[in-house]
Amino acid sequence: MSIKSGYFKKHLHVNLTDGSTERRKLTDTFLEKYIGGRGFGAKLVWDNLNKHNFKIDPLGPENLLVAAPGPLTGVYLPSSGKSSFISISPATGLYGDSSIGGSFGVELRQAGIDVLSINGRAPELSVLFIDNSETTILPMPELKGTTCLEAEGIIKERLDTYAVHVAAIGVAGENMVKFACLNTDWSRNAGRTGIGAIMGSKNLKAIVVRGHKDLPIYDIKGLMTESDKASKYLKEHKYFKLWQQEGLMNVIEYANEEGILPSYNFKDSVFARHDQINGATMLAHYKIGDSACFSCPMCCGNICLVKNGKYTGTVLEGPEYESCAMLGSNLGVDNFAAILSANCLCDELGMDTISTGNVIGAVIEGYEKGILSLFDLDGKDITWGDEDAIMDLIQRIANREGIGDIIAGGSRRIIETWPEMDKIILQVKGLEQSAYDSRAGASMALAYATSDIGAHHTRAWTIAKEMEEGQNWSDEDKVEIVQYHQALRPLFDMLGVCRLPWIELGLNERHYANFYKYVTGKEVSLDQLLTLSNDIYDLTRLINTRLGVSRKDDSLPYRVRTNPALKGPNAGKVIDPEYFQKLLSLYYEKRGWDSNGVPSPEVENKFND
Amino acid sequence: MIQKKLTVIPEQCSGCRICELVCAIKHFGVNNPKKAAIRVLITYPHPVVRMPIVCSQCKDPTCAKVCPTGVLRWIEGIVRLDKEGCISCNKCVEACPFGAIYAHEDCDLPIKCDMCGGDPECVKKCPKGALRLIPEAALGESKRLNNVLSYTQMKEIEFYEKGEHKVIHYAEIGKEEL
Repeated sequence: MSIKSGYFKKHLHVNLTDGSTERRKLTDTFLEKYIGGRGFGAKLVWDNLNKHNFKIDPLGPENLLVAAPGPLTGVYLPSSGKSSFISISPATGLYGDSSIGGSFGVELRQAGIDVLSINGRAPELSVLFIDNSETTILPMPELKGTTCLEAEGIIKERLDTYAVHVAAIGVAGENMVKFACLNTDWSRNAGRTGIGAIMGSKNLKAIVVRGHKDLPIYDIKGLMTESDKASKYLKEHKYFKLWQQEGLMNVIEYANEEGILPSYNFKDSVFARHDQINGATMLAHYKIGDSACFSCPMCCGNICLVKNGKYTGTVLEGPEYESCAMLGSNLGVDNFAAILSANCLCDELGMDTISTGNVIGAVIEGYEKGILSLFDLDGKDITWGDEDAIMDLIQRIANREGIGDIIAGGSRRIIETWPEMDKIILQVKGLEQSAYDSRAGASMALAYATSDIGAHHTRAWTIAKEMEEGQNWSDEDKVEIVQYHQALRPLFDMLGVCRLPWIELGLNERHYANFYKYVTGKEVSLDQLLTLSNDIYDLTRLINTRLGVSRKDDSLPYRVRTNPALKGPNAGKVIDPEYFQKLLSLYYEKRGWDSNGVPSPEVENKFND
Repeated sequence: MIQKKLTVIPEQCSGCRICELVCAIKHFGVNNPKKAAIRVLITYPHPVVRMPIVCSQCKDPTCAKVCPTGVLRWIEGIVRLDKEGCISCNKCVEACPFGAIYAHEDCDLPIKCDMCGGDPECVKKCPKGALRLIPEAALGESKRLNNVLSYTQMKEIEFYEKGEHKVIHYAEIGKEEL
C-alpha cells in the first residue's frame, strides 16, 4: 500500500547566487523511503556530495543547507512542532543536523513545502521570504551586526506583519563561528553542528515563512482519536505537572544525584552548589511564565526574568538542562542570574550554549594548567565562576576578537593551535560533548562515539537507563540499546515530532506508527519505520565514511578514558579503551559494517536512485 | 441556564496553539490553525505576552454595528453570524476592537467564535487551564483578590510550617504576575 496523503510533494530549491527558485515535485518513492526531516536532508546532501565528487567546503557556496519538517509536523498530536536543518557541518566537516521546535516547521508546511534546500551565496546580506506560493530574496544589508532578536523585530517591521515565523542568525553566524546556531521564534535554536555559520557563509541572515494552507491528512477523525488517547495518557502522568513547571530543569537534580552532571569542564560529575542552579531555584525566584512549541501540552520552555542584582531585567525563554549545566556547573558558575544572562547573550549572538560552555570550560582549565598563557588570553584573566570574564569571552568569540577568533574555530582549531588541549577538551569528530558525563556508562560513551554528528546525545541517550539497570547488562545489551535509540530517536526527527513525550513521560512509541498511518494513509508498523530510520543511519554513516571517517574517529575523548571524576557516586570510573574497542567491534558487526566501520557497497546502491 | 463566558487567563498560556488547532478541526474539519476563531498572539521579549485572542461575545457588539446586512446579532450570550445574508465584506474583521474575528482566503465567511454552542472545544483541550468557562457574575474574581492583597495593610506574614520559618509577602503577589 502506498502513500495517499500527508505531503504536498513539493521541494523548494533556492540558489542564492543567481536568486533563482524552483519548485520540484517529490516522487512517492522518495517520500516513502525517506519519510521527512533528516531523512530528506540526508538524501539531498548525499546527492549534492555525489554531484561535487565529495569535495565540498562546508562554508562554500556549493554546500547545501536543507530545512525539513516531517509529515507529522504541525499535525494535531502532542508535540508536533519539530523540524530539522541538515547540511555538511563546518565544525566536523561531516554530516550534520540540528532540530528545532517552535512553529517554524509548521509554517513552512503550511506554505506548501515539504523540504527546502538552499545553496549558493547571496551578493549581499539577504533574507529569504517564503510567502505561501511566492518566494523572494530580499537584500537587507541593514541587518548586519544585529542580534537574532533584533533581526526578527526589524524583519517583522519591514514586512509589516507579526504573523510570520523567522529563523535568524546573529553576529556569531555572520562571523561563521563554527558553533553558531539558528534562532527561530525568538528563542528556539537549531543549536548544534554550526547551522548558523552555514547561513552566514551564504550571506543569508534569515528565513522568513508565512503559510495558510491546510495540512494534508488522510483520516483526521482517526488521528483525533489517537491523539486524544496520547494526550490523556500524558496529562494523567504523575510527572506531567512537574514537567510543565520545571521542564528540562528538573534534570539538574537528577544528573547531580546520579553523578553525570558536568562540572568544572567535566573534571567532576557532581556540583556542590547544584541547589542554586536547579529547577526549584528557578521556580522560586526567576520563572514568570511557560512556553511551548506547537501543539505541545508539556510546555518545557521556561520564561525567566531576573528581578534584582546586576543582571536585573534579563528576560529569556530558558534555560533548559543543557544550557544550565554547560554555562553553569561546567564553568563553576553557581549564580542562576549569571547563567540566565550568559544564556541570553548566547541566544542574542546566535551561539550554541553547549559548545560555548564546553570550549570555555576547556579554556579555563587550559589556563589553570598552564597550557594557555595570559598572553594567549589577550591579557584577560579567567577562572572558574568568573561571570564577567565568561561574558566577555562569549562576546569575543562571537566577534572573533583575539583568542575568540581561535575558539570560534571550534575544538578542532583549539587543538590545532594548542595540541595539549586535546587532553582536556571533550569532543568527538570535532563536535563538543553535550552535558551528560559518559565515564560511568559505557553505552553512553559508545553513543557519543558513534553518533553521526559528533558528541551529542541526540541520537542515543542511554545514560539514564544504564544508571538504573546497567550493572546487569551484557555487552550485547549495551550495543543493542544504543542501536535501538539510534533508530528510534532519529525517527522522531524524520517524522517532525518531539521525542520528549516518549522519553520523559513514557508515551508508547507505537502511537507514532498510528499517527503516521492516519496522516499518510499508509499502513506501517513501528518496526518498518525503524528499519527506514536505520537505513538513514547507514546513509549518514556512508556520507561520513566517504568524507574520510573510519574506526579511529569513533573515539573517546581523552578524559573519558583517562581522568576519572574525583567526587560523587561515579568517582574513579573511566571507560577502559580496550573494552570500548570490543564494544565498538560488536556495534559494527551488528550494523553489518566492516571492521573499519564502513557500510557494505550494496548499502550504497540503495541510495543512488 | 446560567450564561457563561469564555475567559482568557494569559498568565497561564504557554503559546502551544492547541486551541487554534482544535477550533479549526471542529469547525472546518481541517488541520489548519489559520482557520481558527481563536489565535494566540505572542510578543517577546518586551513585554513577554502569550495572549489567546477570541470573541468576547459583547452585548453591544461593534461588529454588529458595522455589518451592512445586519447578520451579526447577540442572542443568548453569543454573537451569532447568520450565514444567509453575509456578503463577506469582512468589515466586522476590521471593526472588532480586539481583532477577534478572522479571515482566510479559502473561507467565504469571516471566522468567528460561536462558543461551539456553549461547550467550547478549546476550553476542553487547553492543557494549561488558560481558557475557562465561567459564569458572568464571577468575572474578575481573581483580579479582585490579587488587587486587594497588594493594597492590604498587612504586607507580610511570618509563620512556621513543618518547623520551617516562612514569610509571605502579600504585596508582591499581584506584582509577580505578568
